[in-house]
Amino acid sequence: MTNDVLIQVLAAFLFTIGMLVVLLRRDTIMVLMGIELLLNAANISLVAFSKSGGMIDGQLQVFFVITVAAAESAIGLSILVNLYRNFGSIQTQSATTLKG
Amino acid sequence: MSPVIIVLAVISAVLALTMLFTKNPITSALCLLGVLIMTAGIYGLIGEHLIATIQLVVYAGAIMVLFIFSIMLLNLNTESTDFKDKPGLFVGAIAMGFSVFGFIAFALNEHFANHRQDFPMGEFTSDKVAALGGNSKVLSHALFSQFYISFEVISLALLIAIVGAVVLAKRKFD
Repeated sequence: MTNDVLIQVLAAFLFTIGMLVVLLRRDTIMVLMGIELLLNAANISLVAFSKSGGMIDGQLQVFFVITVAAAESAIGLSILVNLYRNFGSIQTQSATTLKG
Repeated sequence: MSPVIIVLAVISAVLALTMLFTKNPITSALCLLGVLIMTAGIYGLIGEHLIATIQLVVYAGAIMVLFIFSIMLLNLNTESTDFKDKPGLFVGAIAMGFSVFGFIAFALNEHFANHRQDFPMGEFTSDKVAALGGNSKVLSHALFSQFYISFEVISLALLIAIVGAVVLAKRKFD
Protein backbone atom coordinates (compact mmCIF):
# COMPACT_ATOMS: atom_id res chain seq x y z
CA MET A 1 0.00 0.00 0.00
CA THR A 2 1.59 3.21 -1.13
CA ASN A 3 0.92 6.83 -0.27
CA ASP A 4 -1.35 7.18 -3.30
CA VAL A 5 -3.61 4.32 -2.24
CA LEU A 6 -3.72 5.59 1.34
CA ILE A 7 -4.77 9.10 0.29
CA GLN A 8 -7.38 7.79 -2.16
CA VAL A 9 -8.83 5.45 0.48
CA LEU A 10 -8.94 8.38 2.92
CA ALA A 11 -10.81 10.44 0.30
CA ALA A 12 -13.31 7.60 -0.21
CA PHE A 13 -13.78 7.29 3.56
CA LEU A 14 -14.38 11.04 4.02
CA PHE A 15 -16.82 10.94 1.09
CA THR A 16 -18.74 8.10 2.77
CA ILE A 17 -18.91 9.98 6.06
CA GLY A 18 -20.02 13.17 4.30
CA MET A 19 -22.76 11.27 2.48
CA LEU A 20 -23.95 9.74 5.76
CA VAL A 21 -23.98 13.18 7.42
CA VAL A 22 -26.13 14.55 4.57
CA LEU A 23 -28.47 11.55 4.73
CA LEU A 24 -28.84 11.09 8.47
CA ARG A 25 -28.57 14.42 10.28
CA ARG A 26 -31.71 16.50 10.83
CA ASP A 27 -30.22 19.97 11.15
CA THR A 28 -29.93 21.94 7.91
CA ILE A 29 -26.56 23.29 9.05
CA MET A 30 -25.28 19.72 9.44
CA VAL A 31 -26.41 18.97 5.89
CA LEU A 32 -24.39 21.99 4.68
CA MET A 33 -21.35 20.79 6.66
CA GLY A 34 -21.76 17.35 5.09
CA ILE A 35 -21.65 18.96 1.66
CA GLU A 36 -18.41 20.71 2.63
CA LEU A 37 -16.96 17.35 3.68
CA LEU A 38 -18.02 15.80 0.35
CA LEU A 39 -16.36 18.61 -1.61
CA ASN A 40 -13.22 18.27 0.52
CA ALA A 41 -13.05 14.52 -0.14
CA ALA A 42 -13.41 15.11 -3.88
CA ASN A 43 -10.62 17.71 -3.68
CA ILE A 44 -8.27 15.26 -1.97
CA SER A 45 -8.96 12.68 -4.67
CA LEU A 46 -8.42 15.19 -7.49
CA VAL A 47 -5.13 16.48 -6.09
CA ALA A 48 -3.72 13.03 -5.31
CA PHE A 49 -4.58 11.52 -8.70
CA SER A 50 -3.28 14.57 -10.52
CA LYS A 51 -0.07 14.56 -8.46
CA SER A 52 0.58 10.86 -8.98
CA GLY A 53 -0.11 11.18 -12.71
CA GLY A 54 2.28 14.10 -13.18
CA MET A 55 -0.41 16.62 -14.14
CA ILE A 56 -1.56 19.99 -12.78
CA ASP A 57 -5.16 19.99 -14.08
CA GLY A 58 -6.52 18.48 -10.86
CA GLN A 59 -4.89 21.14 -8.72
CA LEU A 60 -6.35 23.88 -10.91
CA GLN A 61 -9.76 22.25 -10.70
CA VAL A 62 -9.46 22.35 -6.91
CA PHE A 63 -9.14 26.16 -7.03
CA PHE A 64 -12.50 26.37 -8.74
CA VAL A 65 -14.08 23.80 -6.43
CA ILE A 66 -12.96 25.79 -3.37
CA THR A 67 -14.41 28.99 -4.86
CA VAL A 68 -17.71 27.27 -5.60
CA ALA A 69 -17.74 25.86 -2.05
CA ALA A 70 -17.29 29.35 -0.64
CA ALA A 71 -20.15 30.70 -2.78
CA GLU A 72 -22.34 27.74 -1.87
CA SER A 73 -21.80 28.11 1.87
CA ALA A 74 -22.52 31.88 1.74
CA ILE A 75 -25.83 31.28 -0.10
CA GLY A 76 -26.69 28.23 1.99
CA LEU A 77 -26.16 29.99 5.31
CA SER A 78 -28.26 32.98 4.28
CA ILE A 79 -31.06 30.61 3.21
CA LEU A 80 -30.66 28.98 6.64
CA VAL A 81 -31.08 32.32 8.41
CA ASN A 82 -34.28 32.88 6.42
CA LEU A 83 -35.48 29.38 7.30
CA TYR A 84 -34.92 30.12 10.97
CA ARG A 85 -36.81 33.44 10.68
CA ASN A 86 -39.80 31.83 8.97
CA PHE A 87 -40.13 28.54 10.83
CA GLY A 88 -38.32 29.18 14.10
CA SER A 89 -36.26 26.05 13.62
CA ILE A 90 -33.70 24.72 11.16
CA GLN A 91 -34.70 21.08 11.38
CA THR A 92 -35.23 19.60 7.93
CA GLN A 93 -38.69 18.30 8.82
CA SER A 94 -39.99 21.72 9.90
CA ALA A 95 -39.97 23.24 6.40
CA THR A 96 -42.73 21.19 4.79
CA THR A 97 -44.82 23.96 3.25
CA LEU A 98 -44.27 22.61 -0.26
CA LYS A 99 -45.58 19.17 0.66
CA GLY A 100 -48.62 18.46 -1.51
CA MET B 1 4.29 5.04 2.88
CA SER B 2 5.10 8.08 4.96
CA PRO B 3 4.22 7.66 8.67
CA VAL B 4 3.19 11.33 9.01
CA ILE B 5 0.57 10.92 6.29
CA ILE B 6 -0.76 7.82 8.08
CA VAL B 7 -1.09 9.79 11.32
CA LEU B 8 -2.86 12.67 9.56
CA ALA B 9 -5.19 10.27 7.74
CA VAL B 10 -6.11 8.41 10.94
CA ILE B 11 -6.74 11.67 12.84
CA SER B 12 -8.96 13.02 10.05
CA ALA B 13 -10.91 9.75 9.83
CA VAL B 14 -11.53 9.79 13.61
CA LEU B 15 -12.57 13.45 13.47
CA ALA B 16 -14.97 12.73 10.59
CA LEU B 17 -16.58 9.89 12.56
CA THR B 18 -16.91 12.17 15.59
CA MET B 19 -18.54 14.75 13.34
CA LEU B 20 -21.10 12.20 12.21
CA PHE B 21 -21.99 10.88 15.67
CA THR B 22 -21.86 13.89 17.98
CA LYS B 23 -25.10 15.70 18.79
CA ASN B 24 -23.74 19.21 19.30
CA PRO B 25 -23.41 21.27 16.08
CA ILE B 26 -20.45 23.28 17.41
CA THR B 27 -18.53 20.04 18.11
CA SER B 28 -19.32 18.92 14.57
CA ALA B 29 -18.08 22.22 13.16
CA LEU B 30 -14.83 22.00 15.12
CA CYS B 31 -14.32 18.40 13.96
CA LEU B 32 -14.86 19.50 10.36
CA LEU B 33 -12.31 22.27 10.94
CA GLY B 34 -9.86 19.61 12.16
CA VAL B 35 -10.49 17.47 9.06
CA LEU B 36 -9.82 20.48 6.80
CA ILE B 37 -6.56 21.32 8.62
CA MET B 38 -5.39 17.70 8.39
CA THR B 39 -6.22 17.78 4.67
CA ALA B 40 -4.06 20.89 4.30
CA GLY B 41 -1.26 18.97 6.04
CA ILE B 42 -1.59 16.09 3.58
CA TYR B 43 -1.48 18.51 0.64
CA GLY B 44 1.69 20.04 2.07
CA LEU B 45 3.31 16.64 2.59
CA ILE B 46 2.74 15.49 -1.00
CA GLY B 47 4.27 18.76 -2.24
CA GLU B 48 1.20 20.82 -3.16
CA HIS B 49 2.13 23.91 -1.18
CA LEU B 50 -0.13 26.43 -2.92
CA ILE B 51 -3.21 24.22 -2.55
CA ALA B 52 -2.33 23.63 1.12
CA THR B 53 -2.16 27.39 1.75
CA ILE B 54 -5.44 28.05 -0.04
CA GLN B 55 -7.07 25.21 1.88
CA LEU B 56 -5.96 26.74 5.17
CA VAL B 57 -6.86 30.34 4.30
CA VAL B 58 -10.15 29.86 2.45
CA TYR B 59 -11.59 26.59 3.76
CA ALA B 60 -10.35 26.42 7.34
CA GLY B 61 -10.18 30.19 7.74
CA ALA B 62 -13.12 31.77 5.93
CA ILE B 63 -15.77 29.11 5.35
CA MET B 64 -15.57 27.47 8.77
CA VAL B 65 -15.66 30.85 10.52
CA LEU B 66 -18.89 31.52 8.60
CA PHE B 67 -20.31 28.20 9.79
CA ILE B 68 -19.35 28.69 13.43
CA PHE B 69 -20.63 32.28 13.29
CA SER B 70 -24.05 31.18 12.05
CA ILE B 71 -24.25 28.37 14.63
CA MET B 72 -23.64 30.95 17.34
CA LEU B 73 -25.99 33.49 15.70
CA LEU B 74 -28.87 31.01 15.60
CA ASN B 75 -28.00 29.78 19.11
CA LEU B 76 -28.17 26.13 18.13
CA ASN B 77 -27.80 23.60 20.89
CA THR B 78 -28.23 19.88 20.79
CA GLU B 79 -30.47 18.62 17.99
CA SER B 80 -33.99 18.30 19.38
CA THR B 81 -34.72 15.21 17.29
CA ASP B 82 -32.31 12.35 17.69
CA PHE B 83 -31.09 11.26 14.27
CA LYS B 84 -30.90 7.68 15.49
CA ASP B 85 -34.64 7.54 16.28
CA LYS B 86 -35.34 5.35 13.26
CA PRO B 87 -32.90 2.47 13.84
CA GLY B 88 -33.75 0.69 10.59
CA LEU B 89 -32.97 3.74 8.48
CA PHE B 90 -29.85 4.49 10.52
CA VAL B 91 -28.36 1.00 10.31
CA GLY B 92 -29.36 0.68 6.64
CA ALA B 93 -27.69 3.96 5.68
CA ILE B 94 -24.52 3.08 7.61
CA ALA B 95 -24.37 -0.38 6.03
CA MET B 96 -24.97 1.00 2.53
CA GLY B 97 -22.37 3.74 2.98
CA PHE B 98 -19.67 1.43 4.24
CA SER B 99 -20.33 -1.23 1.61
CA VAL B 100 -19.93 1.47 -1.07
CA PHE B 101 -16.71 2.50 0.69
CA GLY B 102 -15.51 -1.12 0.69
CA PHE B 103 -16.10 -1.46 -3.05
CA ILE B 104 -14.32 1.84 -3.77
CA ALA B 105 -11.33 0.86 -1.59
CA PHE B 106 -11.11 -2.54 -3.29
CA ALA B 107 -11.26 -0.92 -6.75
CA LEU B 108 -8.59 1.64 -5.80
CA ASN B 109 -6.28 -1.09 -4.50
CA GLU B 110 -6.78 -3.06 -7.70
CA HIS B 111 -6.17 0.03 -9.83
CA PHE B 112 -2.93 0.99 -8.12
CA ALA B 113 -1.70 -2.60 -7.94
CA ASN B 114 -2.31 -3.71 -11.51
CA HIS B 115 -3.50 -0.95 -13.82
CA ARG B 116 -1.51 2.15 -12.84
CA GLN B 117 1.08 1.62 -15.58
CA ASP B 118 -1.63 1.65 -18.29
CA PHE B 119 -1.94 5.40 -17.87
CA PRO B 120 0.98 7.46 -19.20
CA MET B 121 2.62 9.97 -16.87
CA GLY B 122 1.86 13.61 -17.60
CA GLU B 123 4.38 16.29 -18.33
CA PHE B 124 4.60 17.84 -14.85
CA THR B 125 6.56 15.34 -12.78
CA SER B 126 8.05 16.48 -9.47
CA ASP B 127 11.49 17.11 -10.98
CA LYS B 128 10.04 19.07 -13.90
CA VAL B 129 7.95 21.24 -11.57
CA ALA B 130 11.01 21.92 -9.39
CA ALA B 131 13.02 22.87 -12.46
CA LEU B 132 10.27 25.23 -13.67
CA GLY B 133 10.42 27.23 -10.40
CA GLY B 134 8.22 25.35 -7.95
CA ASN B 135 4.64 24.36 -7.46
CA SER B 136 3.17 27.84 -6.88
CA LYS B 137 4.82 29.31 -9.97
CA VAL B 138 3.69 26.49 -12.27
CA LEU B 139 0.10 26.53 -11.00
CA SER B 140 -0.18 30.33 -11.14
CA HIS B 141 1.23 30.42 -14.67
CA ALA B 142 -1.33 27.88 -15.86
CA LEU B 143 -4.12 29.67 -13.99
CA PHE B 144 -3.42 33.04 -15.60
CA SER B 145 -2.65 31.79 -19.11
CA GLN B 146 -4.48 28.58 -19.98
CA PHE B 147 -7.40 28.97 -17.57
CA TYR B 148 -7.86 32.75 -17.46
CA ILE B 149 -11.45 32.71 -18.79
CA SER B 150 -12.45 30.18 -16.12
CA PHE B 151 -10.76 32.39 -13.55
CA GLU B 152 -12.76 35.46 -14.63
CA VAL B 153 -16.01 33.50 -14.77
CA ILE B 154 -15.50 32.04 -11.30
CA SER B 155 -14.76 35.50 -9.87
CA LEU B 156 -18.02 36.76 -11.40
CA ALA B 157 -19.88 33.76 -9.93
CA LEU B 158 -18.43 34.54 -6.50
CA LEU B 159 -19.54 38.19 -6.79
CA ILE B 160 -23.07 37.13 -7.78
CA ALA B 161 -23.19 34.67 -4.88
CA ILE B 162 -22.16 37.34 -2.37
CA VAL B 163 -24.75 39.82 -3.68
CA GLY B 164 -27.36 37.06 -3.55
CA ALA B 165 -26.41 36.17 0.02
CA VAL B 166 -26.77 39.82 1.12
CA VAL B 167 -30.18 40.11 -0.59
CA LEU B 168 -31.41 36.81 0.89
CA ALA B 169 -30.29 37.61 4.42
CA LYS B 170 -31.60 41.18 4.37
CA ARG B 171 -35.06 40.74 2.86
CA LYS B 172 -38.06 40.00 5.04
CA PHE B 173 -40.38 37.60 3.26
CA ASP B 174 -44.02 38.16 4.14
